Amino acid sequence: MNAIDGTDRQIKTEEVPPPSLLAIVLDTNPHAWAHLSSTLPLSSAVSALLVFINAHLASGNANAIAVIASHTHRAAFLYPTPSSQTSKSNANGDVETNGGEKGNAALENPNKYRPFAIVEQEILNNLNSLLTETHELHLTSTPTTLVGGALSLALSYIAKSTLLASPVDTLVSENPLSALADSETMHAQRVPLTSRILIVSVSGDLANQYIPVMNSIFAAQRKRIPIDILKLAGDTVLLQQASDATGGVYVKPERPEGLLQYLMMAFLPDVTARRSLVMPSAGGVDFRAACFCHRKVVDIGYVCSVCLSIFCSPNLPDNLCLTCSSYLSLRSAQTATPALIPRKKKKKKRHGADSATPGGSTPVGSSTPLHG
Amino acid sequence: MADSDYEYMEDASDDDYIGDKVSSSTRAHSGAAGGKKRAQEKPRKLQAWETSRSVQKITESIVQEVEDGTRHMSIREKEEERKRKRLRKDTKPFQRGIIRHVVLVLDLSEAMLEKDMRPNRYITMIKYTQEYVREFFEQNPISQMSVLGMHDGLCIRVSELSGNPADHIAAIQGLRFPRDPEDIPKEPKGSPSLQNALELARATLYHTPSHGTREVIIVFGSLLSLDPGDIHQTIKACVRDRIRVSVIGMSARLKICSEIVTKTNAGDESEYVVATDQELLRELLLATTTPPVVRTPQATAIPAESTAALMMMGFPSRVVEDIPTLCACHGILTTGGYTCSRCSAKVCSLPITCPSCQLTLLLSTHLARSYHHLFPLRNWAEVSWKRAREKGSRECIGCLTVFPEIPDEDGESGGNNGRELNGVDRMQADGDDSEEQKASESSRYECRVCESHFCIDCDMFCHMVLHNCPGCLSRLNPASEAQSSRDVEMTG
Repeated sequence: MNAIDGTDRQIKTEEVPPPSLLAIVLDTNPHAWAHLSSTLPLSSAVSALLVFINAHLASGNANAIAVIASHTHRAAFLYPTPSSQTSKSNANGDVETNGGEKGNAALENPNKYRPFAIVEQEILNNLNSLLTETHELHLTSTPTTLVGGALSLALSYIAKSTLLASPVDTLVSENPLSALADSETMHAQRVPLTSRILIVSVSGDLANQYIPVMNSIFAAQRKRIPIDILKLAGDTVLLQQASDATGGVYVKPERPEGLLQYLMMAFLPDVTARRSLVMPSAGGVDFRAACFCHRKVVDIGYVCSVCLSIFCSPNLPDNLCLTCSSYLSLRSAQTATPALIPRKKKKKKRHGADSATPGGSTPVGSSTPLHG
Repeated sequence: MADSDYEYMEDASDDDYIGDKVSSSTRAHSGAAGGKKRAQEKPRKLQAWETSRSVQKITESIVQEVEDGTRHMSIREKEEERKRKRLRKDTKPFQRGIIRHVVLVLDLSEAMLEKDMRPNRYITMIKYTQEYVREFFEQNPISQMSVLGMHDGLCIRVSELSGNPADHIAAIQGLRFPRDPEDIPKEPKGSPSLQNALELARATLYHTPSHGTREVIIVFGSLLSLDPGDIHQTIKACVRDRIRVSVIGMSARLKICSEIVTKTNAGDESEYVVATDQELLRELLLATTTPPVVRTPQATAIPAESTAALMMMGFPSRVVEDIPTLCACHGILTTGGYTCSRCSAKVCSLPITCPSCQLTLLLSTHLARSYHHLFPLRNWAEVSWKRAREKGSRECIGCLTVFPEIPDEDGESGGNNGRELNGVDRMQADGDDSEEQKASESSRYECRVCESHFCIDCDMFCHMVLHNCPGCLSRLNPASEAQSSRDVEMTG
């Protein structure tokens, strides 16, 4: 997708579709899944997701996957397994011999393609340990999930993988500004890694992570990583904006129980394939901002010129900004457009000139053709 | 080999430029005792032609490095150090002028026909300024810009003050390839006049609201300024109008330029830089996309109350239409667009000032784009082996790359005391961000808030692109703490 015109001098890019890395951010917010449990329990959602992951891995030899859980108290990698966690989960495995045995059984199943089995087992194990270590305290402390953290993890993982996949390109990723440089200075890339992020989201309000999520969106935009959103429950403007800004797919299924269908139809094609497909998109995206004072969505807001906080009314206490406490005045914000002074009627002057040289109008009239 | 060394040296030199800039602007911000410090700190910088001779010296230092450590390690450290040099040296959250009004003045005098940049200075400048305009509006979406040109003694207006990057880029392109086939392309001609340029820029910026910055960025290739009057009067007028001038020179430093810059930047000369080659020109241009630090207003200046303002802005929703309708901004038929939240006029693109009711219309994402200037991510600290052992970190939090093994304790303590000292230094300097960013011996970099360890690549990515710390955000408590501490710093 990043092919550059006019630079295919020596290095011919391969004809095969580029490997694609899919980073899935799975929102494991227990509150929200509890709401959904009647239609789509977490277990069946995860099994649908595993089928989808297998489909993604199967559609390309070099395709890769990363799964990140955004939980209530932490965001963690489900796949690949962090090594610090392996020791922990092994310890857990020893205690709960049940889980460990099950996993081994799945691995040894001769009817299963081994890479699929490995991915499945790791994801299930990690998810299991994540859920078992969740305490009531964590649940009561916050009703939302750490999407910002999970997105940041996904992006830095993708950045590193891209770097490893095409080391030629290091210069560009090292210095993001140089990515904008003219094509002459850009090296012809080797097969680049196309990456995308899929957020399976169930939580509603994410306003508390506005800035981190926004930063992630801009980073994704810059790296040309589309963020796809599958919104099973709840509604957030923030994620709509994310998919809109990065050119991703936004789907809010009416029947969440058909999760697998939605995943396969809308989210399986990678960036290369999407160019020749008609992808679903959210028609009108709500771009209205939420004010910082009451979290009210506003059409017309009042913005502090120092820290860009948005307020819903111009009447702030003592005229001080609530975020940066600088003194604000509404009056001075008005741009002083230069007023046009109406042109003076020249009648009087001309009259004077006329009177100074009586009868001069005729000679002037006759002289014009001479000048012309 | 020699080639790459040379490149490395150049890298170092432009970083020095930028470094000077940042550190001295902080000094200007703190206000007190600026001048004395600078005098001590600034030894004369080596010019480009002098550096090539010191290649020998660099290779020597590399060789020495190799001798006292293992070969592999020192090369890796060199590489990481080079990468980290690009990081901002100062991440204290300053108040920055987010709403900028910039006049970009291009030199279109005959000095621009010099061929020291390929194919010549003029074409190079045109090419880079287009890129610059795009990046400028990426970074400063709610800012305004105007482009002027110094051509044959006069100052011509290339584009009007507006917030639409496409207009400016088209206008700059139009200098070389006019859209109207009857126009002749503007070739560099005659002498430039700094005074005319400043006067026109001053007039352009005269009506801009007081809460925004007024900046003039001059790309100046020639070695003279042919002025019709007393330029010092113009400089005084610029100071009175709070205009900050920065000059990017191309050939040599000029006294008049440094005087203009010093006077309009409250005694700070770091905004005057000279590009010795085209890469440096590009970097210097792009360095000005970061919003400038706001200085505390002096007593003589305009009262502080008018510098901050509450701006009324509209956040319109996008409309989708089947039948094309007329847009208010261009008067052409378009399908879809945005409707003004106050008067419901339809405009094609954002951000824009509503043509019918003068309300500033933008997306909340435009505002959010500037947040990372206001809340920069603090630089991460180098991790000594001792610290790494304490934390027992084995892999990068962000990308799960495995770190090099922590060596055994006894081998380490006998090894080098200097390293241990480094660790102590780090502890002392914990609160201070502005230290030089160096490579870490253990290839780990630690976020000071959440104490997670990252690899060099994630360090670069997070600070230059993402502006988030994945470690802080992946935990509930450190994240909220970090947020509140940032807020505190912001107010302080």
